[in-house]
Amino acid sequence: MNFGKYCKDKLYTAGIFLSVFILSMLLMYAFKAPGQLRIAEAFILFTGYLTAFFLDFFRKRGFYDELTRNMEALEEKYLILETMHAPGFYEGQIFWELLGEADRSMVENVKKHRLGMESFKEYVEMWIHEIKLPVASLTLLLHNYTESLHGREKSIQSAEGETDTATFVERINAGLRRINFYIEQILYYVRSENAEKDYIINDVKLSKIIGQVALKNKDDLLGNDISFEVTDADKIVLTDSKWMEFMLNQIISNSIKYRDSGKPESYIRLSAAENKTVTVLTIEDNGIGIDAADLPRVFEKSFTGENGREYSKATGMGLYIVKKLCDKMGHGICIQSVRGAYTKVELTFYKNDFYKELV
Amino acid sequence: MKRIVIVEDDRDIAGELKELLDNSGYAAVILKNFKAACEEIVGAQPDLVLLDINIPYVNGEMLLQQLRSKSDVPVLMVTSRESEADEILSMSYGADGYITKPYNPTLLLLRINALFKRLGTRTETAGITYRGMEVLAHKGVLRYNGTEEMTLSKNEMTIFMYLLSNKERIVSRDELMTELWNNEEYLNDNALTVNISRLRARFKEIGLEDVIETRKGQGYILG
Repeated sequence: MNFGKYCKDKLYTAGIFLSVFILSMLLMYAFKAPGQLRIAEAFILFTGYLTAFFLDFFRKRGFYDELTRNMEALEEKYLILETMHAPGFYEGQIFWELLGEADRSMVENVKKHRLGMESFKEYVEMWIHEIKLPVASLTLLLHNYTESLHGREKSIQSAEGETDTATFVERINAGLRRINFYIEQILYYVRSENAEKDYIINDVKLSKIIGQVALKNKDDLLGNDISFEVTDADKIVLTDSKWMEFMLNQIISNSIKYRDSGKPESYIRLSAAENKTVTVLTIEDNGIGIDAADLPRVFEKSFTGENGREYSKATGMGLYIVKKLCDKMGHGICIQSVRGAYTKVELTFYKNDFYKELV
Repeated sequence: MKRIVIVEDDRDIAGELKELLDNSGYAAVILKNFKAACEEIVGAQPDLVLLDINIPYVNGEMLLQQLRSKSDVPVLMVTSRESEADEILSMSYGADGYITKPYNPTLLLLRINALFKRLGTRTETAGITYRGMEVLAHKGVLRYNGTEEMTLSKNEMTIFMYLLSNKERIVSRDELMTELWNNEEYLNDNALTVNISRLRARFKEIGLEDVIETRKGQGYILG
């Protein structure tokens, strides 16, 4: 509490006091009171006023100064009431009670939103499992349909009809793969926003995860003539295999999406290297690359950058989620790129002792 | 013919799955009565159970536990949930494999195939032969005329073994590709063609013609 400001606020009391003082002096003068009495009277009046003034000041200052100090120190400001005792003066008590009421209503409100958010998340997760059923059914249906076409191949003699069907089927399949990709993305978005720890860190062979992701993207890689090269990937890292599979899938999908059709040969190269403390998985492609100006922001939510605008399909969520999951599991991720030349993603896995130290 | 029981409550999927398995040379049965699932499965005497986790009355994991107390039939868990915990739990209850929905049908067939192969190896390790040649897949070697040996590359062996284990039907290029990629050999289209013609040439060297026949627009079959 600032003394100057407090005085200014109490200026009117000083005004009243002075008027009362002058009036009483004039009164004494009119009744010809002796000089000593006047001095005594003036002394009593001044002492009385100043005592009341300072008492009030110190009483309030104690409370408000503590309030200000605690507020500054607190991370969660809404907990301020928990750090204080109720003040001894009346105005403060009114303030105290009303603040408490505001607090309770806020807690109530937050709780309502949290419950709403939780049930929303629950519904989204359930919906994701539901939507997978028709997608699975469509995939099977299409596969069986193609098989039955082959069975009747003799009746469809024209080679052209055959290729037409093949492209048709491949286009539907590509659509289904995209649906799966986005379903997976939202599933992991919901999981990454979740405060709970729902992953399991285990010994996982990198080449196994790479294999899963490769199979998922096989048709897109082959269809776009991108060579997929893996070297030295038989390393074991500590991670959650499902989460890692998702993360790698996002990275590889980006490499496929942002390939450079102008180059004679497109490639995605994965390799792993390890030392005593870490294993690093490098994913390098010779796609269109990322603008230097965009590079620092690729992990931001909804950031699409120059590439995203050109390839309007970008949501700006993929790398954001990947980064979040990396942070949760304690992996490192960094991206280097030169526009028109390459993009290189490095995932860093820490070895056992790192987790031991955490515990 | 291997019998497979499909435990899946989504009728569309169950139907398509049955068609897929029937077309691939298995005899598939769809489980109808979920209330007495365990008894019905055991009664059907299957060689494999495809078990979905989200089924009515009991969930898949419970059913698996019940099933394990009565039989050690191979079980492949199918799920639309996607988490490490689910997988570990299923495996601890005694599942032999785990695949996540929506799966690639070719991959599902590969998994089933691999599962049968793994379970069957104990009985038939010694005797894989083709046209009088002994196939030593793990060494990458074909032994003919008793003592002479021909070495195949890993890719060539993978292709040959896949054709051999499906020798009664036509194998599509996509299947071969999936099998290769599943073995962490990321070939492209050209490389597959090259591997197949090299494989043909190798057999020609030892006087075997028409080993791999091409069926236009469909794939390959072992002659």
